[in-house]
Amino acid sequence: SKKQTWMKKQTMEHYQSWIGKIISSDKDLVALVFYGTEESKNPRNSFKHVYVYHDLSEPGAKRVQEVDALRGEKGAKLAAETIGSGETSLGDALWCCANLYSDIKLRLSHKRLMIFTCRDEPHGGDSVKDRQARTKASDLKETGVVIDLMHLMKPGGFDISLFFCDIVSPPEDESELGLQLQPSDKLEDLLKRVRAKELKKRALARLNLCLGEGINVAVGIYATAVAARKPGSIKLYRETNEPVRSKTRTFHTQTGSLLLPSEIKKAQYYGGKEIVMERDEVDAIKKFDDPGLFLIGFKPMEKLKLHHHIRPAVFLYPEEDEVKGSSCLFSALLKKCSERNVFALCRFISRRNYPPRFVALLPQNEELDEGKVQITPPGFNVIYLPFADDFRTLDPPQFPSASQTQVDKMKEIVSKLRFKYRSEGFENPVIQQHFRNLEALALDMMAPEEIEDLIMPKVDQIDQRLGPLVQEFKDLVYPAYYNPESKPAAKRKTGQSGAEKKPKVELTEDELKAHVQNNTLVKLTVPVLKDACKQFGVRTTGTKKQELIDALIARLRS
Amino acid sequence: MAGSKTAVVLCMDVGLTMSNSAPGEESSFELAKKVIQKFVQRQVFSETKIELALVLFGTDSTDNPLSQDGQYQNIRVHRHLRIPDCELLIEIENQVQPESKEGDWLDALVVCMDLLHTETKGKKYDCLNIALLTDLNTQTNEESLEVIINNLTQSGITMQFFLPFPVEEDKEGQGDSERRDPGHPGTGKGLSREQKKNMELVKEMMLSLDVEDGLDEIHTFRNAIEELCMFKRVERRPVAWPCQLTIGSSLSIRIVGYKAVTDEKPKKMWITVDAQSHQKDDVKRETVYCLDDDNETEVQKDDIIQGFRYGSDIVPFSKVDQEQMKYKHDGKCFAVLGFTKQSAIHRHQFMGSQILKIFAARDDEHAGVALSALIRALNELQMVAIVRYAYNRTSNPQVGAAFPCIKQDSECLMYVQLPFMEDLRHFTFPSLENKKFTPSDAQLSAVDSLIDSMMLVEEDENGEQRDLFKPHRIPNPAFQRHFQCLHHRAVSPGTPLPPIEPWLKAALDRPEVITERCQDPLDVLKRKFPLTEVEKKKKLKTSAQIFGKESEESEAKKVKEDEAEEYNLANIAEGSVTSVGSVDPARDFRALIKQKILPFGEVCQQLTHRIEQLLSNKNTQYYMKSITCIQAFREQSVKLANAEHYNSYLQSLKGSIPNRGLEVFWELLVQDGLTLISKDEVEGSTVSKAEANQFLVAEEQKEEAAPAPVEDTGDVDDLLDMM
Repeated sequence: SKKQTWMKKQTMEHYQSWIGKIISSDKDLVALVFYGTEESKNPRNSFKHVYVYHDLSEPGAKRVQEVDALRGEKGAKLAAETIGSGETSLGDALWCCANLYSDIKLRLSHKRLMIFTCRDEPHGGDSVKDRQARTKASDLKETGVVIDLMHLMKPGGFDISLFFCDIVSPPEDESELGLQLQPSDKLEDLLKRVRAKELKKRALARLNLCLGEGINVAVGIYATAVAARKPGSIKLYRETNEPVRSKTRTFHTQTGSLLLPSEIKKAQYYGGKEIVMERDEVDAIKKFDDPGLFLIGFKPMEKLKLHHHIRPAVFLYPEEDEVKGSSCLFSALLKKCSERNVFALCRFISRRNYPPRFVALLPQNEELDEGKVQITPPGFNVIYLPFADDFRTLDPPQFPSASQTQVDKMKEIVSKLRFKYRSEGFENPVIQQHFRNLEALALDMMAPEEIEDLIMPKVDQIDQRLGPLVQEFKDLVYPAYYNPESKPAAKRKTGQSGAEKKPKVELTEDELKAHVQNNTLVKLTVPVLKDACKQFGVRTTGTKKQELIDALIARLRS
Repeated sequence: MAGSKTAVVLCMDVGLTMSNSAPGEESSFELAKKVIQKFVQRQVFSETKIELALVLFGTDSTDNPLSQDGQYQNIRVHRHLRIPDCELLIEIENQVQPESKEGDWLDALVVCMDLLHTETKGKKYDCLNIALLTDLNTQTNEESLEVIINNLTQSGITMQFFLPFPVEEDKEGQGDSERRDPGHPGTGKGLSREQKKNMELVKEMMLSLDVEDGLDEIHTFRNAIEELCMFKRVERRPVAWPCQLTIGSSLSIRIVGYKAVTDEKPKKMWITVDAQSHQKDDVKRETVYCLDDDNETEVQKDDIIQGFRYGSDIVPFSKVDQEQMKYKHDGKCFAVLGFTKQSAIHRHQFMGSQILKIFAARDDEHAGVALSALIRALNELQMVAIVRYAYNRTSNPQVGAAFPCIKQDSECLMYVQLPFMEDLRHFTFPSLENKKFTPSDAQLSAVDSLIDSMMLVEEDENGEQRDLFKPHRIPNPAFQRHFQCLHHRAVSPGTPLPPIEPWLKAALDRPEVITERCQDPLDVLKRKFPLTEVEKKKKLKTSAQIFGKESEESEAKKVKEDEAEEYNLANIAEGSVTSVGSVDPARDFRALIKQKILPFGEVCQQLTHRIEQLLSNKNTQYYMKSITCIQAFREQSVKLANAEHYNSYLQSLKGSIPNRGLEVFWELLVQDGLTLISKDEVEGSTVSKAEANQFLVAEEQKEEAAPAPVEDTGDVDDLLDMM
């Protein structure tokens, strides 16, 4: 029964990470293999007690449902019936996995095997089986499979050194420190670990940071924050729901013949003239230099203005594999910039035929949490700086500043609504809703799972926390008649400096009389006439132009 | 300013004296032409609605409405008031040439005034301006000066003068030294009598016009060129976004937001035109959809619906359903979710491509006070507001931070978007606190002195900070270059694009002071930090492709390679072999033995490991490869007179044949006669010739042994990866 609960947990985790997987990268292949089972099911049925629940393939809705079936009380029963629990041989399981990998004819860029277990001695000390497992593990690693251990805490502690240290792959990037993975006692943490692993760390670009003639530090550029979007749609034929291919053709409107790239040019229209360029010239215009970072100099940190922001930052880390010695110089730069609180200003060309941008390299020191897990990696954050063209000229409205009493009251409000901001604290409701919708459609659910809109203000809580403060503040800043919620139409009523969009054409009595005499009142606009009526206290019932004119004439001739 | 109308007359002297120049200097004519070229170019490409006219004087011909009875001679109205276009640029380039007469600049001015007067009549203009470019080296009828001044004042025309020399230079006693001033070279000789006299007239005119500091509107050609060299930025009018900032249900402040900083993109896209006709209408792009069948059956656009991937499944999801089920919200909003410490917001987690500035609604003083209270409270507490921001009903809502921003003359909140959980990628990187990479004290101090020498912000004698390099003052070089090329193509079609302008290149480079100052520290740094590029076979090629480095070096290499292909290739390949790979293990094995870096035993072990790997794939191809490996193994062993490794491996291999079901392979081995190395071949061998011959005869008794489970340790991927 112990095994049962273990298996249950394992399944649950798997299920959830699976959902995550579907969302994060749907092209990945996933297999689910149980070992230590009673029943056996594998390609050639050559392994006992290994149950390939799902073969290596893209996870789909059906599989999610199948795994879902193993969850909970009912699931446990089902699991007991279908797979049961029996003898354990990790070696066989690994061998079986190796076969799964080799049966795939596709080229795989990453191969990862995650072992979920809570037993640090799976074979209970059977040295033959241990050895078999070790051999198979090293065979797997030999072929590029990374083996990770997703181990749960067990009473008395999970001791990796007993057995699993020989099974799992050494930490990436042969760093001597590496990441010490502590066993986790919470499913959630484990899940996070699974999720975190999903994201492939792939450099956007590898290029040189040039400090001066012949001093090139190889660096990789990584995007650490990218606006997530709904994944792109696939076009389907309505009748059969099969995907269609799109073909885009460029052809001549008159002859109808297809145009080769050499038969088209690019043009822009300026000053009444079409200016035509070759297609490669259009690219050449954008080229200033080869891709790379070029150091201009250093500036104190306070020179980086908060509002100098035009796009999300990227992250810089040395590439020892490209230029040996990069890590050392990079590390020295990082250390000194951080110590002296300066940033490096660089000219940055991110790709071929990209115009330059200036960037600030902000040092970021490595931070670890209590569990020695890295929270922030060491490296430079690259902040893109705006050019003169990126600023817009504003004409800021000017107002008197608030008094200290008013400010103090607001400070009370602010203090009441303090919270600890965490950047991962807000989910994107648009994307979440989209995935829930897809899930519902794919799994034939009645309705999509409800999402919680985390970026909606919790108005009731806020009101409750603030209590009378709101009214007190309003009493301090707003006059009794003022209603900030009123529509802009009410704008004119408020304040003495009411909005005057157009300068009022005020007419003097003489001018008006001249108009009356010359019969040119008709040339004035209705608002001007209305104002004139007000000015001279003419009461009009009508609003038509002629009525206004008549009224004015009557008044001024009298 | 939008809606405002401006009319400018450019009035340029093309007369005889304008062509004079000192040796090695550009003539006044060339300089003046550049000024108007730059000016017109800016107007054309920023697409302003300024109307322009061009009047030339000192021309050989006369063409102006006032010319009569020998009056107003040698003045030509080249172009009447119109919005400038490429045509004008071409005309300036080709038709404005030095001519040989003398024109009276005051007469020309009268022609300009007349032109402005007649051509702006009945229309409203906010600004009328005449820009006069001349060397003032002509005889003038000064009697009309007073009338002209009166006329200018009355009609509200402003004047600008562009001269070859600065206004102060008319003082007595200007010597050679002053003329040599590179900023304002004179005409080569001192000012002529006419020039001096005319200068006085100019000064009189500028001072009597109702303008403050009239003399400021007298420019030199050179300064003007410098100032006009940048293409004008394309102004975009800030669009107000009125909304309400809300805190809870009952506290709201009327606000208005403006985009303050944003990644500005070029206004116009390239359009595709036919190469022959240059007509965009001749080219059409069309997208058709077809089924993925043999006939590529075309599908009508209306018969296409959208689907999304859910794992391996594609879930059809019609647009109507999407619209129905998608996340909906109440529209425009700027609602406070709470407040947090400014330090909790990381600069590198700013999202989006813009900064919004939030002010209180215009002309609403109460809103102004309320917002000011919030801004000041946040500033004093060093906190920010975390807000939900939605531009309108159809746009996606964001979460963001509103920072307090207090300046001398205005207060505002600065809003920046923050990431959603989905946007963040928590990558971990190996620590740099690593013995291998830890810089020594000497290295650290080298970096220290580099930073010292490259500080861009410094204090001058007066204790004031000076910033040597301000990217936010540099115009976007992409736009500058773009317009430079467009201008070039417009005026000189058929010629190759010009190089990047020197001033732009200089603006993007390290300031010269810094370049000089950092030279020594850089040299030290170079010595202290050895940097060696890691050569990679594959990489070399791709990086050359990627970076487009068609240097002579690589060209030369290519030629060389072609000459002695085989030999060189082998060399290159051998040079980088560090272990027995899976692509060609036999070759690697031979290369490693030749290198003699690794001990023979180790190389053999690597090879046998590969053989074992190959044999785990029960496939004739892999068998063949294994055979070549064993052949190489044998051959090298004999060569080095070391039979031990080979013989023991072959013996153990033979032992494992029945268990592993490798009988087929063994047959191949037998066919090739790859037996043990006997004493006859290598002295140290413990195997006799007879034993060796006997060795290949397989014991047949174990034949019925059940074929062992197929062992496929998937070498395939490894192989593919390497190819």
